[in-house]
Amino acid sequence: MSRTPRRWPPRLAALIATAALVFTACGGTTATPIPTADGGAATVAPSTPDASFEGMSHPADGEAPCGTAPYTGNIKKITATDQNTVVFDLCASDVAFLSKIAFSAFGINDSDWLTEKIDPSQNENQPIVSEVNGTGPYRLTAWNRGADITMEAFPEYWGDKAIAQTAILKWNTEAAQRLVELQAGQVDGIDNVGPTDFPTVEGDSSLQLQPRTGLNTFYVGFNNKFAPWDNETVRQAVAMGIDRNRIVDNFYPPGSQVASHFTPCEIPNGCVGPEWYEFDAAAAKQMLTDAGFDFDQTYKIHYRAAVRGYLPDPPVVATEIQTQLQTNLGIKVELDLQDDTTYLDNADEGLLDGLHLLGWGADYPDITNFLDYHFGAGASAQFGDKFDDITAALAQGAAGADDAAREPSYVTANELIKQHVPMIPIAHGGSGVAYRADVEGAHSSPLSNEKFSVMQPGDRTQFVFSQNGEPGGLYCADETDGEALRACEQMVESLYSYETAGTAVEPALAESCESNPELTQWTCTLRQGVTFHNGATLDANDVVLSYAVQWDAAHELHKGRDGSFTYFSALFGGFLNPPAE
Amino acid sequence: MPRFIIRRLLLSIPVLFGAVLLVFTLARVIPGDPCIATYGEKATESICNAFNIRYGLDRPLFEQFIVYLQTLGSGDLGYSIRFGRPVADIIIERLPVTVELTIAAMIFAVVVGVTLGLVSAIRRNSPVDVGTMIIANLGVSIPVFVLGLFLAYAFAVLLKDTPLVLPPSGRLSPGVTIPPLATTWGLQDLAGPPRVLLDFFSGMHTFNALVTGNWAGLGDAMRHLLLPAIAVGTIPLAIIARMTRSSLLEVLGLDFVRTARAKGVKDRAVVIRHGLRNAMLPVVTVIGLSLGALLSGAVLTETIFGLTGMGRTLFESINSRDYSIIQGATLLVAVFYVTVNLVVDVLYAYLDPRVRLS
Repeated sequence: MSRTPRRWPPRLAALIATAALVFTACGGTTATPIPTADGGAATVAPSTPDASFEGMSHPADGEAPCGTAPYTGNIKKITATDQNTVVFDLCASDVAFLSKIAFSAFGINDSDWLTEKIDPSQNENQPIVSEVNGTGPYRLTAWNRGADITMEAFPEYWGDKAIAQTAILKWNTEAAQRLVELQAGQVDGIDNVGPTDFPTVEGDSSLQLQPRTGLNTFYVGFNNKFAPWDNETVRQAVAMGIDRNRIVDNFYPPGSQVASHFTPCEIPNGCVGPEWYEFDAAAAKQMLTDAGFDFDQTYKIHYRAAVRGYLPDPPVVATEIQTQLQTNLGIKVELDLQDDTTYLDNADEGLLDGLHLLGWGADYPDITNFLDYHFGAGASAQFGDKFDDITAALAQGAAGADDAAREPSYVTANELIKQHVPMIPIAHGGSGVAYRADVEGAHSSPLSNEKFSVMQPGDRTQFVFSQNGEPGGLYCADETDGEALRACEQMVESLYSYETAGTAVEPALAESCESNPELTQWTCTLRQGVTFHNGATLDANDVVLSYAVQWDAAHELHKGRDGSFTYFSALFGGFLNPPAE
Repeated sequence: MPRFIIRRLLLSIPVLFGAVLLVFTLARVIPGDPCIATYGEKATESICNAFNIRYGLDRPLFEQFIVYLQTLGSGDLGYSIRFGRPVADIIIERLPVTVELTIAAMIFAVVVGVTLGLVSAIRRNSPVDVGTMIIANLGVSIPVFVLGLFLAYAFAVLLKDTPLVLPPSGRLSPGVTIPPLATTWGLQDLAGPPRVLLDFFSGMHTFNALVTGNWAGLGDAMRHLLLPAIAVGTIPLAIIARMTRSSLLEVLGLDFVRTARAKGVKDRAVVIRHGLRNAMLPVVTVIGLSLGALLSGAVLTETIFGLTGMGRTLFESINSRDYSIIQGATLLVAVFYVTVNLVVDVLYAYLDPRVRLS
């Protein structure tokens, strides 16, 4: 054996080195490309879940007492099975789960942040209400109370970086003044253009108008337990005898639409199936006559004075409908103005024996929030006896998560709603957003969650938006008004999100949330490499705690601006350990 | 004088108590439920039960009033239903906006109003007199929201690309900041009443910028203050101008003025030193009343120009049935009026030695 080290032939060494590189590149799990600011993609080898990670679950022991009073909620348990996986176990199927978790109120907070910024010893004045630590494209710079909220682009954002380096949210309660600010160039965009200002904006070449169709519906309801509204032919006739176009054209702001279906069309499957009856007063009156309608009796229209997006001028619209019924159909009607605070209760308890005016604004953009809430098995007594064929169709539609697969059920449901006429859908109340003409990417969102990060304000580095009012707080788990939600949405993200300018849901902090066939268990895989504004890394425990502090009324961190967590209760059915009433 | 002041202060206690009782009662008597005002259609029975318990609204009215008096006695104005923050914090935050606007408006109103009144009186029945009185009448006649909107549109939109452009709303341009005095002077750890006072003065952007030498910020703040000050100050200006004119005309007709002229005193000295000073007594009263009114907050002007001052805060609190802020802000207004009236009375005695405070 020679004492001299053997030298590898150069070509063989190169071959071996190349082979080593190839094997290294091809081995292990697939690298995940993540977008970068320049539109390219950098690949980062995904981290293997940390074996030392101690997953949190809530309840820590056992599960929520589904179906056992006083618990009325639909969440059974939330578990962090590993660093990047969260499992939601539900008491019953929820086809709208993804739509719900995309809502701004369910933004994910860092668990350490929650512990640090919520003081269990006090009910008010929580730091978390005015300090934000999200994962969104903008991070909070300053909240100048009474003046504005300033945000700066978050350089470590996992997705497409914000185009404008700075975003400023300000407010002015007067629509006219917001328009003056826009015309003066003080702001780049304004919310809720005044109804009479639409032509002004459209006629100004330095501005652009983005109409917003409201996710709401105004309807005239019948209670089929009271004659003559128990007669289906009578209900169909009244449906044909109201000129809905006239109501919308004369009494609704621009951007509003006559309702072709009960559900706004922006919601998937909202407008499948036949459109509503055309106005035909002559045919309608003949139908009433043939049905033996008593034209001598005076009937009632019940309504309340509360102004809503779906009904901007209740007394005027009520009077118009009264006039139309008289003029078009010969039906004598008197108006019954009821107290705001009791009207909803009266409606839900089925006590309104005449026609009643009411409406609905979406809590989340899924058709179940419209149809099931009003006509499903769990609906109130507002329309009297339920229609079994409608509830069956809706139950069928809620059995699957795929919108395309659900469509046939909703075609059937809309056909039956048109046939049975539990109510007459009149209008979807709209509004509008206006921008300076040079703002690229300008849009309006049906959910009023315009994304500042995708808008380019001309050659300016600062994007300024003026809305109606100042947020009450920036901890949106405990907020209900749109002003707060808009601010939060720029800085805090949920597991899923709504697409820009739309209502369809898409993955956000979760790469996916898959359900079991019964839709009672949803397994969410978190996106990796996501950091909070304070540098903390997103993990499954953050998700568990973010939900637990809202869900569990007995949790020491179940505190916020006023601790009501209204949206959680509304969308998930109720709190764990609810306080005794 | 000291006895007078002490007596007036003592008399103000029942006045303030009456104001507190009246506002407490009226706020709860007006239709509308705070829970429904807060949550709208999401106000379910369980939510409202918890809401009422949290804010003590489930207790009998008398008990609520006693509890409120007790907290008031300890210097606590309670927590805002709408904001979930101490009412005192909200007042400290928003009062400077109103005070700053009031001072600017009154400076405008007094300087211009007295000048117009003076010129009008000197040039009585001349075109100048007629012209100034027309301006005064217009000022009183035009609704403040019309004037405010017109000023905003004219200076922000019509004069947009000219040197005369002014911002239509807000207190500072987007992106411009004036740091709090506590931050600038490294007094973040200061607490208690001194900190409250510092934060109050800090909230007046013009004062803050002036004392810290932030000239860019001062200029920006003053540009934003100009239009709302004109809008708010126009009505007091008109009243002060007319009052100065009529009061000065009356004084200039008195014997001592004739004597001064006969003695050869220069006309300017007669008018300014002898006439105006004596004519200012009723004007001071008007200024005091106007000051008190403005300090309670110019709701319309603050709304139009996007200023979150006490007027707008009080208005929005009434809408949202935020009883805590309604009570706290109204108490503040009552204190203002009592204080301003006292200052006016004392000033009267100073201006006119013949007036004896008794």
